[in-house]
Amino acid sequence: MRTPNLVCGLCALALGACKQPSTDQPKQPAQGGSAPASAPVASEIVIGATLPLTGAESRIGGFYKEGYELAFEQATQNGGISVGGKKVPVRLVLLDDTSAQATAASLADRLINSDKVNFLLGTYATNLVEAQSVVAEQNNIPYVNGGGAATAIYKRGYKWVFGLLAPVELLAESIMKWVDTEQQAGKLPKPASIALLWENTSHGKDFRKGVSEFADKTKNYNVAVDESFELNGKDFSALLGKVKAARADLFLADAHLPDYITMQRQYVTSGLCNKLVSYGARGSEKQAAEALGKKNVEYVLSAVWWSALLADKNPEAKKFVDAFKAKFAGRVPEWYQALGFETVRALFTAVEQAGSTDRKAVREKLAALKMPSLLPGGELTFPAEFGQQSHAPFVVQQNQPDGSAPIIAPPDSATGKGVAPNPNCK
Amino acid sequence: MERFADLLIAAVLLAGLYATMAYGLGLIYGVLRIVNLNHGGMIMAGAYAGWYVHETLGLDPYLSLLPVAAVSFFAGILVYRLLVRRLPRGAAGGVQSLLLLFGVWLIVRNAAYLLFSGNDQTLRTSYATRAVAVGPALVSVNRIAVFAVAIAILVILHLLLTRTYVGKAIRAVAQNPDSCTLVGISVERIYALTFGLGTALAAAAGLLGASLFPFNPTFGASELLKSFVVVVLGGLGSVAGTAIAALILALVEVFAIVVIPAYLTAAVGFVLLVLVLVVRPGGLFGQRVLG
Repeated sequence: MRTPNLVCGLCALALGACKQPSTDQPKQPAQGGSAPASAPVASEIVIGATLPLTGAESRIGGFYKEGYELAFEQATQNGGISVGGKKVPVRLVLLDDTSAQATAASLADRLINSDKVNFLLGTYATNLVEAQSVVAEQNNIPYVNGGGAATAIYKRGYKWVFGLLAPVELLAESIMKWVDTEQQAGKLPKPASIALLWENTSHGKDFRKGVSEFADKTKNYNVAVDESFELNGKDFSALLGKVKAARADLFLADAHLPDYITMQRQYVTSGLCNKLVSYGARGSEKQAAEALGKKNVEYVLSAVWWSALLADKNPEAKKFVDAFKAKFAGRVPEWYQALGFETVRALFTAVEQAGSTDRKAVREKLAALKMPSLLPGGELTFPAEFGQQSHAPFVVQQNQPDGSAPIIAPPDSATGKGVAPNPNCK
Repeated sequence: MERFADLLIAAVLLAGLYATMAYGLGLIYGVLRIVNLNHGGMIMAGAYAGWYVHETLGLDPYLSLLPVAAVSFFAGILVYRLLVRRLPRGAAGGVQSLLLLFGVWLIVRNAAYLLFSGNDQTLRTSYATRAVAVGPALVSVNRIAVFAVAIAILVILHLLLTRTYVGKAIRAVAQNPDSCTLVGISVERIYALTFGLGTALAAAAGLLGASLFPFNPTFGASELLKSFVVVVLGGLGSVAGTAIAALILALVEVFAIVVIPAYLTAAVGFVLLVLVLVVRPGGLFGQRVLG
């Protein structure tokens, strides 16, 4: 009588834990879907969005919210956005998807079919966008997101989904290009061995692909460790033991912020010290420096979609940084807020260009969009050949002992010089 | 050889954390026949309690272990007196208790969201990233401390259950509550005491976990599942079995990386659980009456 009760509880929990991954969502949207809204000029434009305001991604979700709010506040201060020659107020309906795929998808459905929003803004994190974008496509509603970077989202032939984050493959390539420059300069061994760790998501798989393809192409690198790990993992000691045994020159991982903090803490306490360390897009976050200590994140390399340092060279970035600082008591924005802000701006621009709230017209304007942007490169487009995913360049940063993280590549955006190999390694 | 030593040390230290997480769950099930689904909630609450005391009073997490455990002990007794006691005695281990304690877990989790938001928190101590050499490997000071606490809890729990009157009463109630009533043992009091003790152990495990990993209100869910695996592997109601099962689970998980991809290692424990349930349903060390 004892064991069955325990097993019963275990099964209930295991069922809860075994959430279906997004790949179980329908890959192809149903034909038809709901009819596009046809009102040419509405009295108010309602835009729906979900963000992970609680759960594992809550901190980042909060950052995106700040970007969304700033963009809506600016539009409201201007009396709304110009649609068909008149100013129309805009309203954001923002819900918490709790960092869960199923919730993100069901809330998107609710926003479209119950709240009757005109357009959708995407959530944050690749796995959530992957699940949610299916709903947008099924319902034929423009879906602009600044939180999903994996190419898997955009390779499905969807027509209504637009992404501001350039692919993670490009991110990996940007890091590798800088590494290669240092290698050519004789600062890193040739060939160099790489310990490549990637989270077991499409985000991580793209990172792996970017690094592996670069290594294959140049022939100057060999991947000594190639391992994936579960998102939001707790114990990486065995994995790091494998890295230690491989004695690799470069430690290249792709991780979200919580995993970066957990893994880097265990990395430091294991006594590991590779010539270069990168966690993909993570590295320069203040929370990481606070949680781990500034010394323990020194010289970590990261490639990001945006940096506040771009404000010196990009007028759109400067406008955003100034506005953000004015609203948030002088706080300097990170790429998360910038991408949130720019996502809203892209949608507003398309609606203004369409001159109506007709979903099809707005979709067409998004597909043809070419607007001055705060992103590196200064222009935002959604190229059809990449499934309507932006291919704006990345900026590579490196944490310095003084706590700064200057842009070290590409050269036209650089605000400082990178250091290789890590001088802290004895 | 060096890598083997590295992995072995990692496994042993991980076992300490797993054992600490599982003691409370095993104890409550052994005596009350209740699967305490709120075990995960109390692990999370312990993590937040340690963090809060550290942030506001600057008290070291290991020094706050006893006060946090003491407060959790009384919180556990309160939950027992207010809720668990009202369950029909015969079906105390049934669906009612699962639903009730799952509900309590949800309340605890949402209270944490309300109080602390969903942001990840970390315990920032001066020694959080400090390590010492153990043979060929560098080992985190925190992990060694967690392991030492796990051993201390094992010894204290064993002595409590085998050498004290209360411990003997707990074991007697676990064996036959009706006979205990006949010989003058207050079964209700023992149940409350055990529930409080199990809750305190869960909170202590949460605090120890928080010294190693970032946490948020969802913390405790995967820890509860690991605790289940350890308790079932070790044999229900066996404290020493729990410790040995924790070591087996950690060894299997850590050494699995040698033969399978890292992302699959977490699943290895559950495969082991299924195998044990099929081959030896009473657990590796059989069903014993605590101790």
